[in-house]
Amino acid sequence: MEPILKTENLWKMYRTGRMEVPALRGVSISILPGEFVSIMGPSGCGKSTLLHVIGGLAQATSGRVLLDGNDLTEMSDAARTLLRRHKVGFVFQRFNLLPTLDTYHNIALAQHIHGNGFDPHRFEAVASLLGLSERLRHKPSELSGGEQQRVALARAIISEPKIVLADEPTGNLDTKSSETVLALLRQLNKDLGQTIVMITHNPEAATYGDRVLHMRDGMVVNGSAAHS
Amino acid sequence: MIGHMIVQNTLHRPVRTFITVIAVAVEVTLVIMVVGLTSGLLSDSAKRTEGVGADIMVQPPSASIFMAFSGAPMPIAIGDKLQQLEYVQAVAPVLVQFNSVNGLDIVYGIQPETFRSVSGGFVLHDGTELRDSNDILVDDVYARAKKIKVGRTLHILEHDFHVAGIVEHGKGARLFVLMSTLQEMSGAHDKASVFFIKCDRSDHTAAAADEVRELLPHYEVRPLKDYISLMTSSNLPGLGAFINVMIGIAVAIGFLVTFLSMYTTIIERTREIGVLKSLGASKTYIVEIILSETTLLCFAGVVTGVGLSYLTRIILLKVFPSLPILITVKWIFLAGLIAILGGLLGATYPAWLASRKDPVEALAYE
Repeated sequence: MEPILKTENLWKMYRTGRMEVPALRGVSISILPGEFVSIMGPSGCGKSTLLHVIGGLAQATSGRVLLDGNDLTEMSDAARTLLRRHKVGFVFQRFNLLPTLDTYHNIALAQHIHGNGFDPHRFEAVASLLGLSERLRHKPSELSGGEQQRVALARAIISEPKIVLADEPTGNLDTKSSETVLALLRQLNKDLGQTIVMITHNPEAATYGDRVLHMRDGMVVNGSAAHS
Repeated sequence: MIGHMIVQNTLHRPVRTFITVIAVAVEVTLVIMVVGLTSGLLSDSAKRTEGVGADIMVQPPSASIFMAFSGAPMPIAIGDKLQQLEYVQAVAPVLVQFNSVNGLDIVYGIQPETFRSVSGGFVLHDGTELRDSNDILVDDVYARAKKIKVGRTLHILEHDFHVAGIVEHGKGARLFVLMSTLQEMSGAHDKASVFFIKCDRSDHTAAAADEVRELLPHYEVRPLKDYISLMTSSNLPGLGAFINVMIGIAVAIGFLVTFLSMYTTIIERTREIGVLKSLGASKTYIVEIILSETTLLCFAGVVTGVGLSYLTRIILLKVFPSLPILITVKWIFLAGLIAILGGLLGATYPAWLASRKDPVEALAYE
């Protein structure tokens, strides 16, 4: 089976003054369609940078990123924007919902940007799956952290992306909400076959994935099967 | 979707929205009122001059069409020569004086008989015509504005006049005194500022004008029907420039406020812009959001500004009832267009900045 995501000797350098600091140092990973992969590692090890690069938010300094057959490293900014729109769904630690919009519009916004028009059946299915049907008219400030993250999750999957990239999705949640969100991610993966890459430094959260990649100092040091 | 988003954005920060809308409204009001006042004054003056009922007016060489700006260099004896011309029925010399005490007014010094022969005479609302050297006639608009009654003393041009009568407005000036009195006061003995000519038939106006031009080469000979079209701001030295400067200041206010408002907005919404980018929003999409929001704010400002203009006019007319303020659909439209274009121009740079934000940096913005 062809991997949905593959990186080859991926480097990302950040310039701080005259110094060039490597955030990624030759990362090579491969993720198959339908996989749920957790990436673990200490703060500053390059997890988020890797997520930004494989999601097309940042450009790699060298190496290759192949997402669904598209080489992101050769793409223009506009082309990567288009690829994000159609193939990537992001979930962030701080939810990043638009505070002025209610749940309904936060989710519908992704469909609007996607450009294929509003699909009420898909919307209803996602809202129902994530338990948001009763909270559609509430603004983020009126929702709990767990609810906000569920809205963010709905927004990420509403346009049926090829891959969902979750950056510490439980980092701002209490234990109960974390379990709910992780269970939902697991359910999306199992029931819908959604490919998910999740960054976490919570070993317990990492076990929800099929396998865990460990990062240190900008490199993937080893991979292991997760033990749910 | 974008519509809903921008409405929610404007409601999210009501004070910012209010200030921007008010700034645009002030801009629109300033444009409408400056143009309305100047064109109102000009139009009112032109209509009143036309209302004298003459067919031709004669002024000294190079005289301004704005009679208040011309002196009195024409010998009154010219009137006798004009009267001899074939197509001329009546000639009325008028000495024009500008009064700046208790307001800005033009005073006509007239000879009642000749002025009546050209204008058909005043319609008296109260009192009598001019009889005594200290008599003054005021029109009904002026009388209402200044609460003047017949028999009262009116102090203008450093002189106490006795209000002899109140006449219907629309005969050149709002204040009329005997020409001899005004000549005496201004030291312009046997002089006139303008001659109003009534032709024997209105279709002889062109021929009569040619006769006058032949008799008085270099003098300004203007058929009255052309007069209104000449009474524009561009014919008054400096007025066009003044209006342009005022419009420029108004546009600068709108531009700067919109610029600052949208600039602070995009700073405040940096993370939201990062979110939109992570969702795959293009640069054009982000520019569209910012400019749509600006258009909405400017439109609200324009509507408020038009309302504010009418309110200002009502208030001004309460205080200065004789002040002519001409609010036209053309200038409402133009002021609105200027405000929206100025606002969009002010929002262009913030919109461009927003569209160029790095998504990773934007998402990390605190």
